[in-house]
Amino acid sequence: MKRATEKTIEKLFFLSAFISGLITFSIFGFLLIPGLPLFSKGRFFSILTEPWVPHFGQFGIYPMITGTLAITLLTMLFAFPLSLGCATLINLENKSWFSALLRKTVEMMTGVPTVIYGFVGIFLLVPLVRNIFNIGSGMCVLSAALMLTLLVSPTMILLFCDSFTRVPHAYGDAVLAMGGTEVQKFLYVTLPNSWPGILVGVTLAFGRALGDTLIVLMIAGNAVQVPGALFDSARTLTSHIALVFAADYNSPEFQAIFTCAIVLYLFSSALAVAVRLIHDKRRIRV
Amino acid sequence: MKSKRLVIFFSVVIALSFGVGAFAGALETFIGETGEIRIAGGTAHIPVMKAAAIRIMSHNPDIHISIAGGGSGVGIKQVGEGLVDIGNSGRKAKRAEISRYGLRMFKWAVDGVGIVVNPANKVRSLSQEQVVAIFAGKITNWQEVDGEDRKINLYTRDEASGTRAVFWKKALNKGKIAKNANFVVSNGAMKAAVSQDPYAIGYVSVGHMDDSLAGVAFDGIQPTLENVQSGKYPIARGLYSNTRGEPVGLVKKFIDYLFTTEGQKIVAQKGFVPVK
Amino acid sequence: MTNTQFPEKAVPLLSWMCGIVLLTAIASVLGFLFLKGWQSFNLQLIFGTTPPLEALLFKRRVFNGLFPAMVGTFSLVCLAVCWAIPVGIAAGIYLAEYARGKTRKFLNLIFDVLAGLPSIVVGLFGFSITIFLNRYLSSQIYPCLLISSIALAFLVLPYILRTTQTALEDQPASLRMTALALGASRMQNIGRVLLPQSLPGIMSGVILATGRCAEDTAVIMLTGAVATAGIPHSLFSNYEALPFYIYYISSQYADQEELASGYGAAIILLFICLMLFSLAFFIKKRVSLSAH
Repeated sequence: MKRATEKTIEKLFFLSAFISGLITFSIFGFLLIPGLPLFSKGRFFSILTEPWVPHFGQFGIYPMITGTLAITLLTMLFAFPLSLGCATLINLENKSWFSALLRKTVEMMTGVPTVIYGFVGIFLLVPLVRNIFNIGSGMCVLSAALMLTLLVSPTMILLFCDSFTRVPHAYGDAVLAMGGTEVQKFLYVTLPNSWPGILVGVTLAFGRALGDTLIVLMIAGNAVQVPGALFDSARTLTSHIALVFAADYNSPEFQAIFTCAIVLYLFSSALAVAVRLIHDKRRIRV
Repeated sequence: MKSKRLVIFFSVVIALSFGVGAFAGALETFIGETGEIRIAGGTAHIPVMKAAAIRIMSHNPDIHISIAGGGSGVGIKQVGEGLVDIGNSGRKAKRAEISRYGLRMFKWAVDGVGIVVNPANKVRSLSQEQVVAIFAGKITNWQEVDGEDRKINLYTRDEASGTRAVFWKKALNKGKIAKNANFVVSNGAMKAAVSQDPYAIGYVSVGHMDDSLAGVAFDGIQPTLENVQSGKYPIARGLYSNTRGEPVGLVKKFIDYLFTTEGQKIVAQKGFVPVK
Repeated sequence: MTNTQFPEKAVPLLSWMCGIVLLTAIASVLGFLFLKGWQSFNLQLIFGTTPPLEALLFKRRVFNGLFPAMVGTFSLVCLAVCWAIPVGIAAGIYLAEYARGKTRKFLNLIFDVLAGLPSIVVGLFGFSITIFLNRYLSSQIYPCLLISSIALAFLVLPYILRTTQTALEDQPASLRMTALALGASRMQNIGRVLLPQSLPGIMSGVILATGRCAEDTAVIMLTGAVATAGIPHSLFSNYEALPFYIYYISSQYADQEELASGYGAAIILLFICLMLFSLAFFIKKRVSLSAH
């Protein structure tokens, strides 16, 4: 290949990387611009703290921020122990058929679309929650968090398993050589040494739960209130965008959803930075 | 004598041919047309839109009609901004909207907005004060209106909804809607939600009501088609299709089709009151 | 001794419980779906009242079947992957082979951010672009198949980019040095040695991206998917898609028949996505096995 052609191709590679990077910034730009009118009136902080009552001129997204946080945190509360437990099982019992089945199932679960979880959520989970707990309509923070747990656990489990296997064998062998059991090896050597990978898994799962739209849109009820209890109906930043996006382009409602998008963008970017920092510090492959 | 009979004969023939032409002509005007019609807006209109579109497209494969929902607000905004050709709304466009976009409105059906509960719920009649109080969140238990001792689950529509606008104005007298009300995005969604939740209360287009829902009498008047038609049922509204400026070409033909006998038959079939 | 014995005893028990809970949960989800949906599985689900052969040859339109949604999803995925593959692979090559130091760190961070963006944010971006183009370029531009496919391409670009980068970086140094030691240029090294060896990894990334495109709902909801549009007849028209159909039907089914078709559609989508992800996983396994 001629040197000139090679140089052109190399330039093309660079251009592609450049364009891809540009996309990230332009996404932010195209989200900022339509929402600007709302900011310029000095209403930035009021948007973040006001309730959402368009009829009275209030376009605050505060209820949605609390909705997002409530559902995401609850999801992590369920998902983290569950994933840790499953990953532990896969690691401890890695000779048994059950562990292999579990691992295969978890790998398969990463391919299940979120709309399917939402769909089954409406017809299976919501009536179940309604009838078991006898409170409310079943469309609430709890139902959404349960389904989101199923969504984010597989990736977390696989990442945990991965980081367990990356712990140097020598460490584990030392414990066994001294007469320790597999459980002791796991508890006192494997687990403590995989905390960066665990942290990465938790962060990624948090980001995934934060950014999901369909499950919360379909089964969290979408009420515009700050959720005060497990069984309260709630709305997140993501489902708010989906619900309001078709409003009038010059209206403050429409501009407010860009604020939602920007909050989401900043939050997920912060998480990405956190993951990258852990990666660079500990050389964990993501 | 002979000439008189001849005249009568020919007039009858001419009248008949006009009549027959009008009958068969409803879909005939679409022959030879090509093009696209984009429709969006009110979700109550969708069954009628779909039926009309299927008939037109079966008759002429070169026409493409796409139908989206979104609610009356969406319909008006999108047709005003030129993103769709026909914007449906379940409420009259406001004066500001009409003047801003230059809208032309076409009302092809009359519909009502009925309060609905799950068929398992025994409560079948509410007064206006009760309705206002329930939706404002002041009455929270079915027991307070002679029902079971269970919390009332409120369902309401999003702000873009014409169904909501009419309900809010005529039933609630522009009163508050409680913050903990669940939001659903269309008439179909309201139907699905209320029919699945035994302790739900919501409001839906009368044309959408069927056996999976139980209508609640408002101040003693049942939300039935007859009551809407006779004017007895107060929460009524028209179903409109709006265009930006005067409709031309294919879009005009589509709107005209809705007013033909065939079109109005579809309207009646889908549970609304035809205007003709 | 006693205060370490308790956690040691508890750990196996708790982890077994977690495993069982997870398996039960996913089994109920999938089981429920199949139970409710297998009955609606027939040609009518897909083609409605139109004869299948004529529908497949695009001679007649299908009005009450899943066929238009399936064609819509298929076209969408093909287009999105078309846009994403060249840019993704080229950028991945750049990152793996040419970027160094600060640039590399910076770009890695940027792509992490891109990969972590919620899909609805990408969808809103697509919608925002549509309005922008509609106002300043041509009033004939609406949310359509083209814009959806570009937005989806932005969504899956990080997948392809990352897997290409990882696949290339995973190549052992011995392989990398060989061709260069024999006098090959950098480009020749990449083109004739590294890329072919990384192909399985890159393929698995492409398949993963394809699966992601097929299942996504949030992006297409805001950029052109509608409830009724027939088979996409042009790049600039509305279209139907399988995941959107499922979402739409779940909240707005008119009767039990429509609901049953929703279950059927869910099973079909699940099947497609599982196939794609399994394929990607299978290839990845093959690669990691042969590398060790």
